[in-house]
Amino acid sequence: MCMSTNRLKEAFRKTGILIGLISSLTMISSCTNNAEDDQEVDGVNVQTVYVEDLPTYPSKPLPVGLVWETNEDDLVYASPDAKKGGVFRSAMLAFPLTLRVVGPDSNTGLRDLLLGNQFTLTDIHPNTHKIIPALATHWAYGDDGKTVYYKLDTEARWSDGRLVLADDYLFTLDFMRSKFIVAPWYNKHYTEQILEITKYDDYTISITGAIAKPKIDLHYYYGITPTARHFHKLDENWVSNYNWRIEPNTGPYQISKIKKGKYIEFSLKENWWAKDRKFYKNRFNVRSIRLDVIRDVEAAYRHFLKGDLDAFGLTMPSFWHDKAKGDMYDKGYIHKIWFYNDMPRPSEGMYLNQKSELLRDKNIRYGLAHSMNVELMLNTVLRGDYSRLHNLDTGYGDYSNTEIRAREFDLQKADAYFNKAGWVERDEDGIRIKNNRRLSFVVTYGSELHANRLVLLKEEAKKAGVELVLEQLDPAAMYKKEMEKQHEIAWMAWGFGFHPQYWGQFHSDNADIPQTNNITNTKDKILDTLIERFRNSADGKERAALAREIQQYIHDLGVVIPLTTVSYVRSAYWRWVKLPDPPGTKWSDTLFDPTNGDGMMGSTGGLFWIDEQEKARTLEAMKKGEAFEPSTIIDTTYKTQ
Amino acid sequence: MLLRFSPLTVRTWNRFRSIRRGYWSAVILLVMLLLACFAELLANNRAIVVYHDSTLYFPTYGAVIPGRVFGLEYQYETNYRELQNKYTEEGSGNWLLMPIIPYSPYETTVKEGSYPPEPPDLSRSHYLGTDIAGRDISSRLIYGFRIAIFFSLILLIINYAVGIALGCMMGYWGGGFDLIFQRIIEIWSNVPILYVIMIIASIITPNFMLLILIMVLFGWMSMTWYMRTATYKEKERDYVLAARALGASTPRIIFMHILPNAISIVVTFVPFSIVSGISALTSLDYLGFGLPAPTPSWGEMLRQGTDNLHAPWIAISVVAALVLVLTMVTFVGEAVREALDPKKHAIYE
Repeated sequence: MCMSTNRLKEAFRKTGILIGLISSLTMISSCTNNAEDDQEVDGVNVQTVYVEDLPTYPSKPLPVGLVWETNEDDLVYASPDAKKGGVFRSAMLAFPLTLRVVGPDSNTGLRDLLLGNQFTLTDIHPNTHKIIPALATHWAYGDDGKTVYYKLDTEARWSDGRLVLADDYLFTLDFMRSKFIVAPWYNKHYTEQILEITKYDDYTISITGAIAKPKIDLHYYYGITPTARHFHKLDENWVSNYNWRIEPNTGPYQISKIKKGKYIEFSLKENWWAKDRKFYKNRFNVRSIRLDVIRDVEAAYRHFLKGDLDAFGLTMPSFWHDKAKGDMYDKGYIHKIWFYNDMPRPSEGMYLNQKSELLRDKNIRYGLAHSMNVELMLNTVLRGDYSRLHNLDTGYGDYSNTEIRAREFDLQKADAYFNKAGWVERDEDGIRIKNNRRLSFVVTYGSELHANRLVLLKEEAKKAGVELVLEQLDPAAMYKKEMEKQHEIAWMAWGFGFHPQYWGQFHSDNADIPQTNNITNTKDKILDTLIERFRNSADGKERAALAREIQQYIHDLGVVIPLTTVSYVRSAYWRWVKLPDPPGTKWSDTLFDPTNGDGMMGSTGGLFWIDEQEKARTLEAMKKGEAFEPSTIIDTTYKTQ
Repeated sequence: MLLRFSPLTVRTWNRFRSIRRGYWSAVILLVMLLLACFAELLANNRAIVVYHDSTLYFPTYGAVIPGRVFGLEYQYETNYRELQNKYTEEGSGNWLLMPIIPYSPYETTVKEGSYPPEPPDLSRSHYLGTDIAGRDISSRLIYGFRIAIFFSLILLIINYAVGIALGCMMGYWGGGFDLIFQRIIEIWSNVPILYVIMIIASIITPNFMLLILIMVLFGWMSMTWYMRTATYKEKERDYVLAARALGASTPRIIFMHILPNAISIVVTFVPFSIVSGISALTSLDYLGFGLPAPTPSWGEMLRQGTDNLHAPWIAISVVAALVLVLTMVTFVGEAVREALDPKKHAIYE
């Protein structure tokens, strides 16, 4: 279970399309320099050894009296009917800037797939939320409340065939603490949060975290992924040297082909070490995964209708209601599914950067929140399909404060707050002015699909005397701008974790420095104390109470205007793609992730399969014009409200 | 005093008029251009005239008039359509006059119980329907036309000014200057302009003038070739020699003597440059690299139309408008070329 809050998730990635990050430079190089960029790699026979003297670590004697636990009792959620084979074809909106998963520009859409193939010590069962074995078969807890002992799976292998040994876990610590990877968040996390990794023999280790936590949290926050020590040569050139090297992994798929700017292909490993393990059996069924760059969602949808892609996310209302219609659906070639899940929600919002002098004033932030007609947006362009997100951390059970209500569109309140801040006069456009300065803010966003929402808010905000200047950037440029804290208002969504986390996004340690997630530049002493107490508490109940208090405090600060949320995922898929019953898990945020999932919210991916006979039959029927029964599944197994 | 044209110009003009298709296209386009200049009076959510409690208001141009002025309860801009309904209900003698299309190109209007885009609805004065954000298409078309045509005209003027000046200098001076600039132009012409704009647009959001600047930066070259050739030809004529003998300066010879004689080349190119200017802006907007949202733009509407083929009124409106305008400009271009055809009337003695 890897770092959870440190990730930027485009809101519509959840529709099932993977967004990579576009690179203008890659685009040019792919036009001019094809011969050199062609990088064909055969299966697992990749050159992966770059290190001559493998680092080895000393071992200590194992303490006595440990009580080893495992979990082979929970129900499997994969279908025994699953068949192996087929190519799963999907799309990314842009080619990633790098194949690294840490360091500059590594927060790409592809990262999910890469991490979905980097297994962690243990997984979480997505329905029971209990720990299940992954790279470790057994685990035990130390008396100090912050150490977990792991017995490693002796059959686990890297994609190049080498065994995964205790040293690879110890190397993770060296790697993540290294300045050469240029990843301050990881440097800090692996220094301050993960204190020590101890080796007892080649297949037994323990991890000690900084603070005592509830047992399951220990796995989630201190559990790590091994790092192939024969692959990484840590020096000042690491970042550039490892941009396009294919890192050995432990998951079911490995990259087998890359054409920069065009596509990436993953292939299923033959005799993957975990293929018969209880919770991995009948999963990861497709033979290969092909990700093509299609730089436009609409174009991707056309490709899907033509049969070039196997599944397509329909969560956006315009897709589900208007575009997912016609012959292909009526004749049953393409099926639709509306699947309700039960999980934490991304925190979609307008993040107000307090680096801006205006936004440092709480009254302006409050006024701004009351000027955003999110309700009208929900009822028009979003067709009432989405609902208002009230609390940024929704769906975390005890850890969510359900009493928080987002500030509603209310011109009188907005007026009162702006007046209080001294913005009374209006200019000839009806925008408030003070000392010849207009009350105007630049909103940076990264998807043209959101333009309609913003245009509506912009017009409504004029009524309150606020001007919003819309700045649509390429997702990579937007991300860069936000990480450098150069934005005024960021229109974006953070992904979610097992429990909410606050230090990265709201602690003053991360304010005013680039490449951290505190994009609101929040610096507040009281909040800092609360966040530190939350981070240091081992008591589940106390932590939940603190989380609720922090949420209330952040709401009172008004640094984020929460936007919208959805409690389901909707997709269309060709009839040869088969799903188990029920089609997903409580924590499935897409039904068509071919890998293990990014490890943040349980082991959810790879449940579907492709029936190649069915595919041949369908294609034949399409030629003849024969129809099948149309199908729209609405699955409410895990619906909560 | 009446302007006196040379007989040659009069003949060209008559010839142009006699080509009905081109002539009428030019007339219609000029009228459209004129109307576009006053688009605020045609399509707007502000009333043209309001008569309220014995006072006349003209809200179209100028500052926002808050609702309080007209006895409404809010301080933001008056919703004149609602005000009109209120006046009708009250029957108090107050009245107001709305433009033909009572919607601004930016505002979202919502109909109870349904979601945008809405098909054309005469009763609500949405003559061409609304787009996916509920904005009036006819209104956006008009403002989009204004932006496109002015973009194209400004682009043309700057491009031609640079192109003509440089082309004339190359032709007149010849030699090393000519040689160097020829090479520069050849190299510069090979820069893929679309990529350049796409790269710039992904880093910063371009505005109107910036977009023109970029287009000029990579678009001034085409005119230089024609002017260079024309100048080469003209400068060998006797009248240039005569002017030089009389002691005229180089700029005077170029601008007063050579340019008027080479101008017919420039004029024939103008309409086609306008077409290419409009097309360039439209295609950039279509690809999402043009003017930022929510600027009314034909390219953005075209994109909406093609993305939402289930709402055919969007695509039909904008495609019809594009075809109409571009065809008319092309007709004008043909007529101009025909009118200036040297075979028809040039006299060499």
